[in-house]
Amino acid sequence: MANNILNFSLADFFFNDNPDVLSPPDDFSEWINNPVVKHSFSFFEQELLDAPRVSTEILSNLDGQRRKIINLTSYNYLGLSTHPEVVQAAKEALDKYGLGSSGAPLLSGTLDIHTEFARKLAEFKQKEDCILYSSGFGGNVGAIQGMMRKGDYLVMDEKCHRSLVDGGTLSGAKMLFFAHNDMESLQMMLEKAKGKRTLVVVEGVYSMDGDLAKMPEICDLAEQYGAGIFIDEAHSTLMFGEHGRGVAEHFGVEDRVGVSFGTLSKSFGGVGGFICANKDLIRYLKGYSSPWNFSCAPSPAVSGGLIKALEVATRDSSLRDKMWENTRYMKKNLLDMNLDLGGTESQVIPIIIGNSGEKLMTYAEKMQKAGLFLQPVDFPAVPAHSRRFRMSVSSQLTQEEMDTTLSIIEDVIVKDMKS
Amino acid sequence: MTKEKIIEVIAENIKENLDDLENETIDPMKSMKDYGANSLDMIEVVSCSMRELNIKVPRAELADIENIDQLADKFLEHAEA
Repeated sequence: MANNILNFSLADFFFNDNPDVLSPPDDFSEWINNPVVKHSFSFFEQELLDAPRVSTEILSNLDGQRRKIINLTSYNYLGLSTHPEVVQAAKEALDKYGLGSSGAPLLSGTLDIHTEFARKLAEFKQKEDCILYSSGFGGNVGAIQGMMRKGDYLVMDEKCHRSLVDGGTLSGAKMLFFAHNDMESLQMMLEKAKGKRTLVVVEGVYSMDGDLAKMPEICDLAEQYGAGIFIDEAHSTLMFGEHGRGVAEHFGVEDRVGVSFGTLSKSFGGVGGFICANKDLIRYLKGYSSPWNFSCAPSPAVSGGLIKALEVATRDSSLRDKMWENTRYMKKNLLDMNLDLGGTESQVIPIIIGNSGEKLMTYAEKMQKAGLFLQPVDFPAVPAHSRRFRMSVSSQLTQEEMDTTLSIIEDVIVKDMKS
Repeated sequence: MTKEKIIEVIAENIKENLDDLENETIDPMKSMKDYGANSLDMIEVVSCSMRELNIKVPRAELADIENIDQLADKFLEHAEA
């Protein structure tokens, strides 16, 4: 491996052939301790020393310095994690209920605020009922694993999140992946699954590309084949649609989508996940969805804060309007610099650098040292020819912060790519 | 190690990891996709085959491979290195 060590990635060490079960593969340590590999991993797990706002402070792994930064990596799209009313509501719930729920939801973990929050989420999403999960990942795994069985078919977009794929693996259902947002490929897979219980799984906004599922066409095809539709609105709830209900509302297809997933850690600013669907399916999931059955119910402080977050984000459209205004400004200026933003249609804006992992890491380091925290996204998280930065635009961004961001990107990326 | 041996190992792993192929002859000019493999199945087949053949090819080098024959060539290249 010594002569081509830099061609390896995390994708190569998944299978472990070390006879000692308590050790990683033999060559994993050689690889991860190589100075160049080690340096590229130093971008990860850097500590934020303050709240994950746009304006925060980082303890840099690159040089050990504390540094004020503009943070465009956190998913705090609407700034709700530090919204004063949300924090106050969380404090009040903390004072009343304490830190934990002390039980699984089925036995003793369900508190009145969990029921209230689930009801409000169901009303918001215009579905009959809602089930709350302590983690977003758990929500997706739990819904898919709870609904699907061996002999069933999952027809998933190839860019679906890991939680959906893991849920599929756990369910025992056959997984067929269609080419991203490609209706011909979707139809081919639906044809293969014909006559079986089939669930089509898509995301409202795809997290690495920021593009949207082609919902009207997907609904047409799924209906033609009698398949159900599951949409993951992790990056779209509270932001898309006239009322902020997500991409399904944006396309006017909410009635045609059977199961709607949302996360509580992104625009909501807390942590957790939820599934909205018809009452009977939610009742069924409560019997078979392991991450609900066998996890402690969400922390009451988090749920108390989230009830307020839902209220703040939906009582008017000011937060999402501001987020869209900022998104339009950033996108226009990045495009004016001739940067490749892929097919983004949302507040998730990729800046695609290309196949050079070295450039990606050099840019990431220079930008961070100049005061911009934009994490590199490397292979295998994205294809090797389209390594990128992924910007999360927030309503919190001020004009000055946006202009500083753009000038750092111009200095570091644009000037180098031109030369 | 011969290319025939490598193809044999890959074919066995394809049969083991995919449904309904017990009695099929695997055609090396075809892609695993033609036998119903999804991306997770392909990782499983490639990883199991490499483990059995005691070779390690970086995943980045496998991205453009189109069929089983090309995969065998790539394995052979690394077995001889």
